[in-house]
Parts: sequence; structure tokens; C-alpha cells
Amino acid sequence: MTERQALLGAGAAHILLFAALSLGWQWSQKPLAIADEMIPVEFVDIADAPRVVEAAKPSMKAAPQETTVPTPAETVPEPTPATPIDAVPLPDVKPEPPKPEPPKKATPEKPAPAKPLDMSTLSNLIDKALPKSKVKPLDTSDLATSIAAATPKKATIDPRAAATLAQAIQAQVAPCWNPPIGGADVRRMTVVIRAEYGRDGRVIGQPSVVSQTGATAGNADYSRAFAETARRAVLRCSPLKLPPKMYEMWKSVEINFDPESMT
Amino acid sequence: MVVTPTKAGARLPAYPAKVPVAPKRPLPTLRIRCYTLLMRIIVPVLAVAFAIPAAAAPIRVDINSGIAQPLPIAVPAFATAAPVATEAGTTAEIGGRVAQVIANDLKSSGLFRPLDPAAYTTTVGMPDVTRPQFANWRTIAAQALVTGTVSVNPDGGITVGCYAYDVFSAEELARQGFVTTAAGWRRAAHKCADLVYSRLTGETGYFDSRIVYVSETGSRVKRIKRLAVMDQDGAGHRFLTSGQNLVLTPRFAPNQQTITYMSFEGNRPRVWLYTLGSGRQQAIGDFPNMSFAPRFSPDGSNLIFSMAVGGNSDIYRMDIASHKLTRLTTQPGIDTGPSYSPDGSRIVFESDRGGSQQLYVMGADGSGQTRISFGEGRAATPVWSPRGDLIAFTRIGGGRFSIGVMRPDGGGERLLTNAYQDEGPTWSPNGRVILFFRSARGGPVNLFSVDLSGQNERKVPTPLDGSDPAWSPLLP
Repeated sequence: MTERQALLGAGAAHILLFAALSLGWQWSQKPLAIADEMIPVEFVDIADAPRVVEAAKPSMKAAPQETTVPTPAETVPEPTPATPIDAVPLPDVKPEPPKPEPPKKATPEKPAPAKPLDMSTLSNLIDKALPKSKVKPLDTSDLATSIAAATPKKATIDPRAAATLAQAIQAQVAPCWNPPIGGADVRRMTVVIRAEYGRDGRVIGQPSVVSQTGATAGNADYSRAFAETARRAVLRCSPLKLPPKMYEMWKSVEINFDPESMT
Repeated sequence: MVVTPTKAGARLPAYPAKVPVAPKRPLPTLRIRCYTLLMRIIVPVLAVAFAIPAAAAPIRVDINSGIAQPLPIAVPAFATAAPVATEAGTTAEIGGRVAQVIANDLKSSGLFRPLDPAAYTTTVGMPDVTRPQFANWRTIAAQALVTGTVSVNPDGGITVGCYAYDVFSAEELARQGFVTTAAGWRRAAHKCADLVYSRLTGETGYFDSRIVYVSETGSRVKRIKRLAVMDQDGAGHRFLTSGQNLVLTPRFAPNQQTITYMSFEGNRPRVWLYTLGSGRQQAIGDFPNMSFAPRFSPDGSNLIFSMAVGGNSDIYRMDIASHKLTRLTTQPGIDTGPSYSPDGSRIVFESDRGGSQQLYVMGADGSGQTRISFGEGRAATPVWSPRGDLIAFTRIGGGRFSIGVMRPDGGGERLLTNAYQDEGPTWSPNGRVILFFRSARGGPVNLFSVDLSGQNERKVPTPLDGSDPAWSPLLP
């Protein structure tokens, strides 16, 4: 063997080895096998801004069209506003509150059928959801019993449907809320309003204040005005458009109004 | 039980502490798995948005933002039983004008949107004042309604009844009657607007207040400056001084009957007092030196101002009753523009002791003088907010003058305006609006107002040019 042959042989061997190593590295990975089992990812948008329903428009259509005067239960003598003293409250004769209007029969809507929950897709959400979660770790045993208790008679709570429902309510009520964000105490203020809904989506009676934070003796006027904007939002955005099939879930709703993203 | 995160100190709704446990019956394995998965997967996701509804508990929804839009409000003409002539027109005419003034006040705040009366589907007669037909107001999307009456009193004065309603809950929110002379109908309208504003926003109103400012006219070299006073909306304008002498920096006393200002009368620039009722003008003290930039203490008993002695301007306090003078600053350089905090315990002022014009805060006795402004450029003409939480000032830098606010500790600085030259801020009585004057490049000087949020910038109408405004407290 000449030196030339030896050099050529060695060169060829090196090239072969190099090719084998570089290609073999790829082959040995075998990564594509997993691709066959790739899980289709479906992003379930729960906590973010909803896009489930069209935003309710506080328009004339939304308002009842009856023009009849609500008849007071008893006729109150007209209070005379004239008061002899400078700037004093008028006689405090309140007009009878008008009767609540009879809820109109709404044409039943086709409920948006909630898709059955695909467990396999949801595992994708765990990691994303956890770091964002502001909630302390949950006592799951307690939750299990609560779910069990909530579903005694073959009823199934579909959590995704519930999430969608809450999102739908949020999407419809938020555009009606005009919080007084200029107040000095706005950063500490939240209010929870409870409203009962009829099957037609209309609020029954007056929504009530369940709880309020940030109210102090010094800001009583402001906290009252704040709570009233929340109540006004609930009333203005009535009727809600929600799936009638799930009525049992939304006949009573508690809404926590917190202008944190506006201040 | 899952509860949505709430702010600290939240009183949580009365949920059942524990949900009754289901009868102990082994569940099928599949179900258990299913629940486990539910717990692991769904719970953290859902917990962010709402609580899973347990039996009978209402579904819970969180709303973290709404819309910041002016509230649509209807202000129909105030009703009168039968038109009666007064010195200011018939009661029916006054009723129409009162409604216009109220609507204009509310609109100027930027928080309300008065609806066009042409859109009203109903007229408001006397019975409707106290029993509005809410359905009619809902159809035009009014969220609040102001109704009222005008009637003549035996003495020739008038009574303006003012009622505010929430249209959607069909509730009366407030009512009040105001007795005034027929000519004073504007003040009744402002009072009514204040009632509506405060009831719906939860803050005190500011419409029944006045503005004193320096009216300017003439060429740059021969500028005539006169003190002038007007209602907050520009009505009732009148001049206080003749214009013979240059005047600067007028400021209201808390009782609003007195104005302190600086005048060059007799070529001696000094602090003066003007009594509104009598028109009497009076120099304060017979100081040999120039005194300037005066302001009242919140209780009206003291004046603080600057006085230049031997080229060194310092801040002095003078007891108005005894004329006793107390020197509050001693540093070399110019200390000026003092303004009290609303509780009277502290004073903010400007000083160039550190090399450039900056803001400082000290105790009312001159103790603990601390620099609070550190941003780019200079800071001047500080004014403490009536709410106490902010200081408005003029930020000078980059060839511009802008109106800014910062906290009394110097933090949270924000600029509210962005024009060529905005300066001389003054607060509305409720601390929500800032009035200032704007000079166009080589052009006119005008009064402007801007909301604390930097929104709703408006020109305040004045007959001539205007500068150096000061807002009065709310009139009694």
C-alpha cells in the first residue's frame, strides 16, 4: 500500500465516520415517533377577555317600550317644593315606587350546546394556569364533596359551561358599567351585587348589595354612588342573553365589581 | 368552598361554610378519576374567574373593568304651575334656562352627557316632576334624570325645586329646594347641578363657585392687566380694578369675600387685599421691600407671601388681625409661591436654593424643609389640592411649560397637559379639575381647565385674554 492509497483510505474513512456520526445522531433521536401521538391542542380561553357573546348594547331596543305610567298603589298628595328657608330639603314625601314591569315573554333561544369536556386537552392548561392563579392552593377534598353534593340527581356540572356562562355574563354586564374612577378611594373599592333573573333573562326586582369593600365613614357618599353604578350596570344590561337550558345555574348571580384594571 | 380572590378586608358573602357531604357510597372508579381530573385541571383555571357554583349558591362573576363614558342624563325644562312674571322673566322662561345651565355644568365636568332635548319623547309637567315616566326616559337611553319646578314666593323671590332620579331603578336619588331672588336663578341652577353631581359621583360638586383672574388686553409692551371675577362657567363677569396698575396672582380668601393679590400701585409692588362687597383695596403692611405671591391660610387668619430683602426673597407669614410678621425661610436664593395644605399644617413652595427652581415642603412654622421635585427640568407655582392628596404645579423643561401633579412626598408625578406654555394651576373646590392659563406661541393667553385624569381639556370663556386664575371655594 502506497502512502497515497493510505492517505486516500484514511480520508475516505474519516468522511464516512463523519457522515455516519452526523446522520446517525439524527437517526438515533427518533423524535418523530412521538409526533404520531401528538395531542391536538385546543385552547380553552377561560380567564381572559371573553368573546362568547355579542356585547349587550345599552340601546333603546334593550329598554322596555311600554309607555304606560306605572300606577302608584295609592295616590300621594303632590309635595309642594316651596320651602321658606334658604336651601333646605323639600318635604320628604316619596312617590310610590312604580310596580316592576311584567317581564315580557321572550322567544326561547337556541341554547349554545356546550361541548362535552375533553379531558385530554385540558392538561395543557395546567401549567399555564397555575403561575397566574392568584388563589392559594385549593383544598381539593372539600371541593370533591362540593361537586358531589352539587350533582346528586344525575345532574352534571360542566365546568367549562359554567366558565362560559360566567364569561357570558361578564361580557354582557361589563360594557354597561361606568364606575366613578375619579374618586380618591377608588383603588380600595369593590362591590358584590346579587341579582335574580327570570327565564327571559330579565332582572327580577332590584339587585342587592351583598358586600362592599373600601367603604369608610369618610367616603359614604362615594361608596354609595359606587355601588349604584354597579347596580345600574346590572339593570341596564337586562335582559341577559344566556342559554335557557342552563337557567338553574344563572337564575341567581353574584357579580363582583372591581375597577382594578381601570385605575 | 372556593371563593374568588377579593381585596384585603373584603367581607365575603355568606356562603355555607361547608357543603353537606354526600351519603357515603363508593363512587364508580371512573367517576372518581373524573373528579380527580376535574380538581386538578379545572379548579385552578376556574378559580381565577369564579367559584364553582355549589348547590343553591349563585354563580359568581368578576368584572374588573367597565367603560369610562359620560353618563347620559336628561335635564328637561323645569316645570311651573302657571307662568308668573318676575324681574328675570316668567317662571316658565326661568325653568328653561335653569335646565340649560344645569346641563351645561354637568357637561363641562366631562362626566355627564346631557341628552338633546329634541330627542325627548315626553314633556315634563308638574305631576311628572315627582313621578317621572321612567319608561319614556329609558327609551332614549337616559340613565339619570333631573326634573324640577320654579315657583314665585310672596316676596317676589323664587323657589327652585330640584329632583334627581335613577332611570333604570326608577328611584329618586335626591331632592332639594333652593330659595333665591329671581335674578339669582343661576346660583339655584348651579346648586342643583352640584346636588346631581355629588349624588351621582359621590364627590362634592364645584359648580356654584367663582373664578378670579387677571384679564389682559393691549399690546405686549403696553399690556393692561385688570382683576376680574366671574362664575365658574364664565357668566356674571365683572372687572374689579381699573387697569391703571399692573396686578398679578389674585387668590381667594376662604370666605370668598376677600381677594389677595399683588399690585404695582405707586410703583411699589406689594401685596394687597380687595374686599368684594365694598370694592375696598388695601395694601398689606408698609414694607419697604417688594412683597409678592400671596395666599391665604385655610382658616383665613394668615397670609403667606414672599418678601425680597437685600436681594434674598424669603417666605413670611402674617397674622391678618395683628399684622405680626413671621419669617419662615432663611436660605439664600428665591423662596416663593407658598401654598398651604388644606389642614394648614404644611406649606409647599418653590425655591432655587439647590441651583434650579424646585418644589419644597415644610411645616407651617418653617420646620423640616424638604425638596420634593426631582424630575427633569424645573418645577414652579405649586398648589396644594383641597383634597390634600396631590400638589399641582408647572413643569418647565424642554422648551415647554406643562401642568403636572405629584403627591406631597414627591412621588407619582404625572403631566396633565401638553402644549407650548401652560402654567399657573389652581384647583376646583372638590379637587377634581385644574384651571390654568395657556399662552399660544406669540399669541393670545387664555384660561383652560383639565380633569385630574388629563382628560376633558376645555377653554374657559373670557371676554379678553386671561391669566393667573384662582378658583374660589364652594359658595355657601
